[in-house]
Amino acid sequence: MNAKRNMAKETQPRKGETRQMEGLDLESVLERARGHDAEALGEIHHRYVRRVLGLCRYMLDSRESAEDATSEVFLKLQRSIDSYDGSIPFPRWLLRVAGNQCIDVLRRRRRERQVIVEVEDGAAVIEATSSEPSPLGTVIRMAEKAQLQTAIGRLPENYRVPLVLRYYSELSYDEIGQQLDLHRNHVAALIFRAKQELRRRLVHGSK
Amino acid sequence: MECYSEQICAIFVDDELPLDEAGRLRDHLATCRRCRELVDELRIESRVLSESLRELPEEAASPDVFSAWRMSSAWGDLAAMAAVLALGSIVLVVIDELKVPQALEWFNPFSLNGLTNLMFNVSDYFAHGGTAMLTEYAAVVGGLFLLSLLGGALLLGRRPRLRQPGLRLLIMLLALSLPSFALERRHGDFVTVPASETVDDTLAVAGNTVRIEGVINGDLLVFGGTVEVRGSVKGDLLSFAKRTVVSGSVEGSIYDFSQSLDLDGQLGHSIYGFAQSLRVNERGHVGEGVVAAAGDVNVEGEVKRSVDIVTSSNADVSGTIGRDLTMAGVNLTLTNTARVGGNLSARVHQLKEVHIAEGATIAGKRDIQVQERKSRFSQFTRSRFYFHQAIWLAAAMLVGWLGLVLFPGFFRATTQAVGSGWLSLGLGVGVLAGAPVAMVVIAITLVGIPISLMLFPVYLTAIYLAKVWVGAFLGQILVRPAGATKGDWLLGLLIGLLLLTIVGFIPYLGGLVRLGVVCLGLGAFAGQLYRASRPVVTA
Repeated sequence: MNAKRNMAKETQPRKGETRQMEGLDLESVLERARGHDAEALGEIHHRYVRRVLGLCRYMLDSRESAEDATSEVFLKLQRSIDSYDGSIPFPRWLLRVAGNQCIDVLRRRRRERQVIVEVEDGAAVIEATSSEPSPLGTVIRMAEKAQLQTAIGRLPENYRVPLVLRYYSELSYDEIGQQLDLHRNHVAALIFRAKQELRRRLVHGSK
Repeated sequence: MECYSEQICAIFVDDELPLDEAGRLRDHLATCRRCRELVDELRIESRVLSESLRELPEEAASPDVFSAWRMSSAWGDLAAMAAVLALGSIVLVVIDELKVPQALEWFNPFSLNGLTNLMFNVSDYFAHGGTAMLTEYAAVVGGLFLLSLLGGALLLGRRPRLRQPGLRLLIMLLALSLPSFALERRHGDFVTVPASETVDDTLAVAGNTVRIEGVINGDLLVFGGTVEVRGSVKGDLLSFAKRTVVSGSVEGSIYDFSQSLDLDGQLGHSIYGFAQSLRVNERGHVGEGVVAAAGDVNVEGEVKRSVDIVTSSNADVSGTIGRDLTMAGVNLTLTNTARVGGNLSARVHQLKEVHIAEGATIAGKRDIQVQERKSRFSQFTRSRFYFHQAIWLAAAMLVGWLGLVLFPGFFRATTQAVGSGWLSLGLGVGVLAGAPVAMVVIAITLVGIPISLMLFPVYLTAIYLAKVWVGAFLGQILVRPAGATKGDWLLGLLIGLLLLTIVGFIPYLGGLVRLGVVCLGLGAFAGQLYRASRPVVTA
């Protein structure tokens, strides 16, 4: 017991530090976090945990696995923060890391099934048939946001994941393609189909 | 020129169309009203999608909202308890009306048969291992009782988790006692369920050593010295043992009131523990969380969700906790291998008692609060302290006076009974330690739940009244040995209470004296109750 304690190089938490952190700008917090300052890492968690959890919740099917993924993102952050070079805004970078984490989770499950089913014959262009509902613009103004959120959550994984990465994480088609190992044309097609599916469901749902 | 497809327009809206193509489309839009409208619609669609997603799904809502909801859940617990009470009283009436089937007669404590069975069960429990535990319990229960009150208040105040476990426990007790529910009972010195055996019902076992190597398809309820679960329990494990070791698997939760609990195996849900020592060993895996009040807590294995603990000494973490770690206690150690997937909040007496190794990983915020231990002497300088003591004294006097007016005979006799010294003390120790156990045992029968819930306030009241009787007795010795009038009795009470209060503030000795007073008073009360219930025999 004591031996265990002696072996561990101890760091004493400093009291009152937390309050100081809250006022700091992101740059300084990040700077300190890169130096593996526990308080700074804690502050990052505090500021972004909801954003990350939100993404994970949309990407994964249960709250439980979303929380697991969120914890994992912040646990890994202590090491991965070294690789953040400041070339893109930090929240965007963090969401990309979180997106990767979720995709890893989905891939691990893929032993049984595909995360993103291959888009058949490189369907870069899919014509909307006349029977398709028109863009969400009109539909959506009538739909409640909560209704829309639920509908997004219920989309099949291969539509939901690219859609969320695009509109929640605001990644480009190329970035999404990199994460999912897909060509950008496939990504474009999947996002387009996701929207069509969403419209269909909302129109049917509201009827 | 021919119009663009909707998908191309959508890609254009997403700013993902190659520059030259985007240029051509822009030119086209200038001339084509239909496409312009389409692009406008698509723009709105994208914006709404972004906005809707930005508003987090309900479940990821702010933790503050969440804790407010949790706060209100304490009322849910109370409501559940009230509902059970109400249900219990209805069931009581129904049971009175109906004839209880012969086979279930032993369940009914109101029948002679049921009563003897109940008594037999309780005495059997004490005979087999129960007595061995009793002395240890006596020392532990007093302290833990206070600790649980403090801990309960703390957990309730900070993050009430009691709704689910509380409800689950109630439901489980109900389920255990529902007449339709099959229950198998075994007792003996050494009870074992061999690996080849499968018990399809809920199993209730009492024994010095209980070893489960087979499969229990229902819940397992154990009273005993040592309990080892090497096989598997599909339901919950409710243990009142000196030592509980789970090296097999429990698919439900563990409700533990043991002196020590060791989890070496797999647990599907959570641990709700009240133990002197609680360990989740290296191979131990908890599928959900740990909520415990314990002396020592050691997490070497994995806990998937949060750990909430109140400890009287050390909390050591070298394993993995999936979510938050919340603790209140004396000492907290996180070794290099410790991983906490959420926030770490600790309330300790001194900052130097928190040891977090450099290699320990904590994903969230660290919130270490130091609760200054109030100095024994500084409080004596505050006027508020004397005010509180005066109120306390006045309340005790009022209770004493009320008791004397309402139950003169009983109060005087109980005061005298304190004089039987060791007998009262011994009896008191037994009642103090035994009553909570007895209440749980009684609660296991369906009709027993309301009785048990009614007994609990009586128990608390008796603990409070203990000092009144002891105080009155002390006063009588000191002031007027033969004090017979009400005034004398009350004067004696005042002097006795004053004396007890002052002695109670002596460090260490004070604590012992307080415990002694409670035991003496409880013993006198129990003895007097027993005498009062017997028919008067005139010589």
